[in-house]
Amino acid sequence: MSKLLHRLVHAPEEASEPAFPRALVRQIRTARDLADRRRREPTEGSFPTTCQAFDHLLAGGLRRGQMVELIGRRSSGRFSLTAMALAAATRSGEAAALIDLGDGFDPRTAEAFGVDLERLLWVRPRHLKEVLTSAEVVLTSGIPLVVLELGMPPLRGGRGAEASWLRLARRAIVQRTALLVSSPYRVTGTAAQRVIQARDGSSRWHGRGASPRLLTGVSSTLELLKSRARELTPRQGDREAIALRIEDIPGTESRSPTPTETPATGAPAPVETARRAIA
Amino acid sequence: MSRLACLSVPLFPLAARLRSEPELRHEALAVAVGQGDTARVTAATRLARKAGIRPGLTLAQARARLPKLIARPRDEECERAAQEALLEVAESFSPRVEDGEEGLLFLDADGLERHHPGESPEEEMARALMQAAESRAGLPVRVGVASSKLAARLAAARPHSPHVIAAGMEAEFLAPLPLEQLTPQAKTLATLQSWGIHSLGDLARLPRAEVISRLGSAGQELHTVALGEDPCPLVPRNPPPTFQEGMELEWPLVNLEPFLFTARAALERLAHRLQGQALACQRLELSLALEPDGHHERSLDLPAPTRDVKTLLTLLRLDLERQPPGAPIAAFQIVAHPDRPRRAQLSLFGPEALSPDKLATTVARLFALLGDDRVGSPRPADSHRPEGFQLVPYAPPPPPRVRTKGRARGGFLAVRVLRPPLEIEVLTEAGAATEPSTAETSNTSEGPLTEQAHPPSHPRPRALKSLAREEEAKRLQIDGRIRVASGPWAMEEEWWGKRRERDYWDVELAQGGLYRIFRQRATGDWFVDGIYD
Repeated sequence: MSKLLHRLVHAPEEASEPAFPRALVRQIRTARDLADRRRREPTEGSFPTTCQAFDHLLAGGLRRGQMVELIGRRSSGRFSLTAMALAAATRSGEAAALIDLGDGFDPRTAEAFGVDLERLLWVRPRHLKEVLTSAEVVLTSGIPLVVLELGMPPLRGGRGAEASWLRLARRAIVQRTALLVSSPYRVTGTAAQRVIQARDGSSRWHGRGASPRLLTGVSSTLELLKSRARELTPRQGDREAIALRIEDIPGTESRSPTPTETPATGAPAPVETARRAIA
Repeated sequence: MSRLACLSVPLFPLAARLRSEPELRHEALAVAVGQGDTARVTAATRLARKAGIRPGLTLAQARARLPKLIARPRDEECERAAQEALLEVAESFSPRVEDGEEGLLFLDADGLERHHPGESPEEEMARALMQAAESRAGLPVRVGVASSKLAARLAAARPHSPHVIAAGMEAEFLAPLPLEQLTPQAKTLATLQSWGIHSLGDLARLPRAEVISRLGSAGQELHTVALGEDPCPLVPRNPPPTFQEGMELEWPLVNLEPFLFTARAALERLAHRLQGQALACQRLELSLALEPDGHHERSLDLPAPTRDVKTLLTLLRLDLERQPPGAPIAAFQIVAHPDRPRRAQLSLFGPEALSPDKLATTVARLFALLGDDRVGSPRPADSHRPEGFQLVPYAPPPPPRVRTKGRARGGFLAVRVLRPPLEIEVLTEAGAATEPSTAETSNTSEGPLTEQAHPPSHPRPRALKSLAREEEAKRLQIDGRIRVASGPWAMEEEWWGKRRERDYWDVELAQGGLYRIFRQRATGDWFVDGIYD
């Protein structure tokens, strides 16, 4: 086996593309290294979301075979966290599915976030029953990350039977799929492995008094409400702060007050700072 | 000398019927031809034969002997589908297959015996053919192997199957058989019998030139066949581009459920046949014969090739529910247009590739569940409106060979778009609700911004209130005093060159919640089109 690996690693230079990735040549020398590497890899089988606070409460990221419930009221940053999870997964080459009950996904914003739209399956059910049925179907496809975005209250179709959520959690285990349920309030009952709440966010504005205001971002706190995992950290009740900012979106048009118009706050000078469209 | 195998299905009309209705295998069933009193039995199951039902009896006579007899008419659709299935099984053994029609076919067996080593390779090969026909086509077959078509056909008709005639022994095998086996013309048969020729061996022993001089070309053909030679070579068929299944129903079906029950069995047979050829269905066509007359045809284009019966049946059900045929269904035919299923290669180091077959099935089932406008891969729309989007078929590119760290840009605030925008009532700085007014409307007729001599005033929002419309009562409620308002913004693309239609504001309510709202210049109406979340 090691001879075979040697041949694969040291492929003839004239070959346009060696069978063994060059990036791994220094790391893997024997066949055992292959297995060891997979075992040692801390993020193997999980999807880090690129949000450090969220990843900390998830003990590394969204794990395959686990259902995680993320709850939060409006403007708590919940939707941004799901977009980050999708962006991180699709950017690393994985396929992902978004089952979007609220129909609130914006492809332009998502692209600016870094979501690889080609790898994203977008499902737009009309009510919760369709969400649950669609999720069961999608979970059989082998897509490793499935996000259920339930939108804003009131949820169309109630909370769903707990048996349905348990069945989804069970299927996620069987299919080794990371399942993230993003909801305004708890719906999954006892099915979720972890429940994280995004506490009410506070907005951040640029400008004071009579000067024009600019929305710059939202600060929020994430709290681990429930965890069935056996790790010592994070513990139930742990909190992490997150700060979400509005960023320029390349390729979109400028979003500045029209120079010929009076600013909303009544200040004489128009805002000079060019801002990019959010969506 | 080439070797030929003949596959023959005994009592083919009955076997084809039982293939379509396997639940009747253990019943007393008779297949009849003709209408009313003239209907005559052509084939019957073993249970019926035990009760004395024989081919040639009228249906009334047969029912008199066995009152519980189940009778079915000959069904051309069933028989054609069964014949196709049999041909496909044979084509999985040899590319050169001749269609003999009505449960009969010949295949070029030259060299096939090498795949079945043993004491008698040709017999092993024939047994494999029998097993494949039974398991894959659902048809009991008899197999004969010889060097000529007649010898192979007559060998297949022997009760103990398979029957192999060694090369060069065809004439010896045929010699004792009666002349009637060649099905000659009555006049020719009478002439031969008047000469005292009663068996094929007798005919073979006659001098060829003398037979030709007296009986012409018909005599020449008979003499050649009697010698164990083929007058014409094997004519391989061109496989049809589609797969078909169907049947005539015993009585017209009015409801969808019983029809789907029958269609499911046909789809299962289709899927089985497609699997045998390593193909999947890309397009499904349904043709219904209606009672008393008329046709109803439907066509379903699948998002990706699949042979998942559940998916195909769901798509069929939804399509028929959308457009019911409007009359009882007397017969149906399902045509599957095949395509190669998608394949993917697994990776040791990169992310796991999705199984194209599973993915195709998933997408097809989601299409069936939600509709084709609700499933796909999103794309930004080439539109000046921020809520626009496009959906394209989901076909993810292959994953990278090596897993890479995500280069996503984290920590940004996203907007949850409201589709359609939610109409609201807004109290403005002046204290009056901005309902559509003539004064505001007149401002909308102005030209491009660059030409504005007197820009319109922009009422600053102070409070939001959801409209208490009945249809929106169950929707998102947004009410409250505005703490901070920022705007108006021009978000529409090319706002500098075209007439601006919307003024956007970012607002934060006193009780929490960040919204993106806009005012329609034409009407003065206000809408919430996004939530910062």
